[in-house]
Amino acid sequence: MDKSNVLGQVVAQRERIGARLAQVKRVIAIMSGKGGVGKSALTANLAAALALEGKAVGVLDADIHGASAAAMLGARGQKLEITSDGVRPAIGVCDIRVMSMDLFLPDDDTPVRWQHPGGLAADAFVWRGSLEANAVREFISDTEWGDLDYLLLDLPPGADRFDTVARLVPQLQNLSTGGAVVVTIPSQVSHLVVRRAIAAAHEAGAGLIGLVENMAGYVNATGEVAGELFPAGRGAAFAEEIGVPHLGSIPFDPRLAHETDNGRPFILEHAESAAGRAILKIAETL
Amino acid sequence: MKFVCQSDNTVMEFVETVNAENGGSMSITFQCPTCGRAVAMVTNAGETQMVRSLGVTIGGAASPEPMAMIRSALSGQEAPVQTSAGPEPVWSEAALKRLAAAPTFVQGMIRRIYSDYARQKGYTEITPAVMSEARDTLGMTGM
Repeated sequence: MDKSNVLGQVVAQRERIGARLAQVKRVIAIMSGKGGVGKSALTANLAAALALEGKAVGVLDADIHGASAAAMLGARGQKLEITSDGVRPAIGVCDIRVMSMDLFLPDDDTPVRWQHPGGLAADAFVWRGSLEANAVREFISDTEWGDLDYLLLDLPPGADRFDTVARLVPQLQNLSTGGAVVVTIPSQVSHLVVRRAIAAAHEAGAGLIGLVENMAGYVNATGEVAGELFPAGRGAAFAEEIGVPHLGSIPFDPRLAHETDNGRPFILEHAESAAGRAILKIAETL
Repeated sequence: MKFVCQSDNTVMEFVETVNAENGGSMSITFQCPTCGRAVAMVTNAGETQMVRSLGVTIGGAASPEPMAMIRSALSGQEAPVQTSAGPEPVWSEAALKRLAAAPTFVQGMIRRIYSDYARQKGYTEITPAVMSEARDTLGMTGM
């Protein structure tokens, strides 16, 4: 008898994911091929908006090397605790349950470094992708998420990232159980990269909920749109061009950056601003 | 991967895995159940790491520890993870009243911080005195 039963272990991993996600009504991936478009801040604010509606929300930070969800949701510094059922997630604002690689790092100066056998540092790229995909798998299956209305996945940049999680989370392929929200900014370069990410997501069988245009103009001191950062009005046209619903456009509000840095989603105190209203409207579509 | 004993045309059975002390290689022994002949496969460091990255264990693991791969594969750092420190403490009426004075959206976080502190200290009930002690010990303000 093969005691290793590697295939059996892989099947058991999948079964643990299935059992854990059976307690989750909807799984939403926030993605973009492009970096720096505001995926993580949008994830934090959508999570808070849903929690304010009384929903039970979890946020899984799938950005292993750029983990920021714990900081944005005020959940840094909490010790993770192992129980008989898994690992208790950190609790952020509005009782949002958070799991992030940030919570596994001992201090602010320590990056994620994976062990590698002596002398093989140069070959680390060979297995790094597999390690990190499995880290996300463990985040999903081994976190005590409990009963959730929404589990939001904050994906790192890269056109292939959706494919990795979609293979673990079949709910992302069916709009009745979840799907992907794609984030862009109104620049042609962003549109180019996002277009490719959407094509990759289509190939992975994504249920595409829609497109969010971030940094669509900037606001004045009263929180109302005052001007453009990029040529305006592209979001809806781009969404139509690529055949994806346009969920909304969010203007850049400096207070959003400030509040996010302080671990308090902007939406909590600025729901009446132009950016706040846009985020709330997008949350309604999830 | 399977090995077949050519004398008996029988699939060999897994016997044991031995990890080298430096973690760079491991030997995996199989034995023919019929004639008892054994064979050991030795993986090189890269192959060992590839197996580890899959989150599986050669030799089998009946019930893997939660987040086992992450916790074992992070290099040169002890992850701030602890085992459960006991049952949830009970909140006194006065402590709940004090908790309710905090903004609603942070009450869950504060509750968790005080609960963790009480369990680590072995307190079964959270009272305003325990909250004050935790606040002073942990250096929290405004709670």
